[in-house]
Amino acid sequence: MSGNYKSVFDIIGPVMIGPSSSHTAGAVAIGRAANRLFGSIPEEITIHYYESFAQTHKGHGTDYAIISGILGFEPDDSRVPNAIKIAEDQGIKIKFIEEDEDSPIGHPNTAVCELKKGSREIVVSGCSIGGGTIEIRDIKMDGFHIKPKGPLPILLVQSADTQSTENISDKLSKINTINHHAEYAGAGHATMYEYDLENRLKDKDLNALSSDSTKMVYL
Amino acid sequence: MYDTIKELVDTSIEQNTPISELMIQQEMKKNSATREEVWDQMSNNLDVMAAAVKRGVEGDGVFSKTGLTGGEAVLLKKYREKGHTLSGDTMVEAVQNAIATNEVNAAMGVVCATPTAGSTGTLPGVLFVIKNRLNLDHDQTVRFLFTAGAFGMVIANNAMIAGATGGCQAEVGSASAMAAAAAVEAAGGDAQQSSEALAMAMSNLLGLVCDPVAGLVELPCVKRNAIGAGNALIAADMALAGCTNKIPADEVVAAMKEVGQGLPKALRETGIGGLAGTPTGVQMKMSIFGQSVEVN
Repeated sequence: MSGNYKSVFDIIGPVMIGPSSSHTAGAVAIGRAANRLFGSIPEEITIHYYESFAQTHKGHGTDYAIISGILGFEPDDSRVPNAIKIAEDQGIKIKFIEEDEDSPIGHPNTAVCELKKGSREIVVSGCSIGGGTIEIRDIKMDGFHIKPKGPLPILLVQSADTQSTENISDKLSKINTINHHAEYAGAGHATMYEYDLENRLKDKDLNALSSDSTKMVYL
Repeated sequence: MYDTIKELVDTSIEQNTPISELMIQQEMKKNSATREEVWDQMSNNLDVMAAAVKRGVEGDGVFSKTGLTGGEAVLLKKYREKGHTLSGDTMVEAVQNAIATNEVNAAMGVVCATPTAGSTGTLPGVLFVIKNRLNLDHDQTVRFLFTAGAFGMVIANNAMIAGATGGCQAEVGSASAMAAAAAVEAAGGDAQQSSEALAMAMSNLLGLVCDPVAGLVELPCVKRNAIGAGNALIAADMALAGCTNKIPADEVVAAMKEVGQGLPKALRETGIGGLAGTPTGVQMKMSIFGQSVEVN
C-alpha cells in the first residue's frame, strides 16, 4: 500500500475550480509548493510539461492553474482562471514548454518549474497523482539538490547549527511520524535536512519548531 | 489507516460500528482534529456538491467555454417532468444530478472532487437521489460521504484514481464503487454488503479507458458520470438483494490496478486514442486549439 492519500478530504475534496483535479487542482498544488520554496514572487517562470501534462495542459487549464499556485492562490480562488493575465500584468515573464521525452521523475503528470528572480533560480519537479494530491520528487535550490520520496507533507530545514536541528528532530518525532529523513550538504557550512512526515503539522506546531538559526520550508 | 477493504469491513463488524464512524475516528486521530472540525469540513463539501447539482439545472443550464458540453442536465430535467422515463424517475434524476455537476466542472465552476474532478458527478448523482428516496437527514448525507471516502482511500492507496495512470476505470470506476458502497450503508445494509456493492460496481467498469476529446474534461467525461451513478445504484441494489460478486473487493481493486497499468498511453488521458482519436474528435481539437495543434 502506498499510503499517499492520508486524509478523507484527499478523496472527498478538494473543493476546487474545474475542470480537472489532477491537471488543474493538482497543478495549483505543485505551483504552491514552488511558491513556498521560492519564498517570493519570481520575475521569470518556465514550466516544462511531460507526458499527459504535455499533451493535455491546454484543455485542462493546467497553465493558469500552475501559475495560480506560484502566485500563492488556493485551488478554489476565483482568480485561478485569470492567473496568467494577473501574473503578466505584474511583469512576470512566463514560458510553457511541452517536452517530448518521458518524465524525468517517472510519472505521466509531471511539471518541472523553474522560478527566477535576479541571480536566484530554483527548479522544482512535481507530479500530480490524482484527485488533487501531488508529490514533489526533486528540488534544486540555493546550492542543494534535494530528492524527497514524493508524498507530502515534507519539512525542509536549512541550518548551519547541528544543535538546533537535533532539537527539531526530537520535537518532530514526538508530535509526528518521520517516514524518511535525509541530509544534504550545500555550499559552505550549510546543511539541508529533509523530513518526510506521516501527518500534517498544525500551525502552532510549526511555529514551535522555528528558531532564529534555521530556515524552514513546509510543503 | 485501513490497508484493505476486508480490514475495514471486519473492523466495522467486530466493533459493531458503521464505516462512516470508523472514518471519522481515523480522521480525528490522524490530524489531531476535533469531531466538530472534521464534521464541519465534510458538511461544507456537501454544500458545494448540492450547489453544483442545483446550478447545473438553473435557467438554460451551464455551458463550457468550448461549447462541447452544457445544457443537457436541463434537457433531462424537462424530460423527467413529462413522466415517461424508461428507467424510472430515480435513475434519470441520478443521471441529471451527475451531468449537472460535471457540466459545472467543465464550465470551470466550483466543485468538490470525489475522488477527482473528472468523476465529480458520480457521487452526488447517487447521493441526492437516495436522499429523497430514503428520506435521509443531513447527518446521514454527511455520513454517506465519510463512508464513500473510507472506501475511496483504500482504492487510491492500493491502486490509483488518476486517468493518466489508470484510465477512466480509476476515476469514474472508483467513484461508482465508492458511491455504491456508501449507498448500501445509507439504505441500512451491512459493511459486507457495502463491500460487495463496491466489488460489483468496479467489476462492471473494469477496462474503461480515459480518452478525452482535445484533452478536455468534457467528452466523454460528463456522460461517463451518468453511467457511474447509474451503475452505482444498480450495484447497491444487487448487494442489498443479497447478490455477491464472488471475486472479493480487494482482488477487484488489484485487478483494476493491473488493468490500468496495462492500458496503452494513448488511452490514459493523453487525448490521443479512443474517442479523442476519432475523425470528429480530432476535428474538434483542431477547431478549439487552431490548425497549428499537433495531432498525433
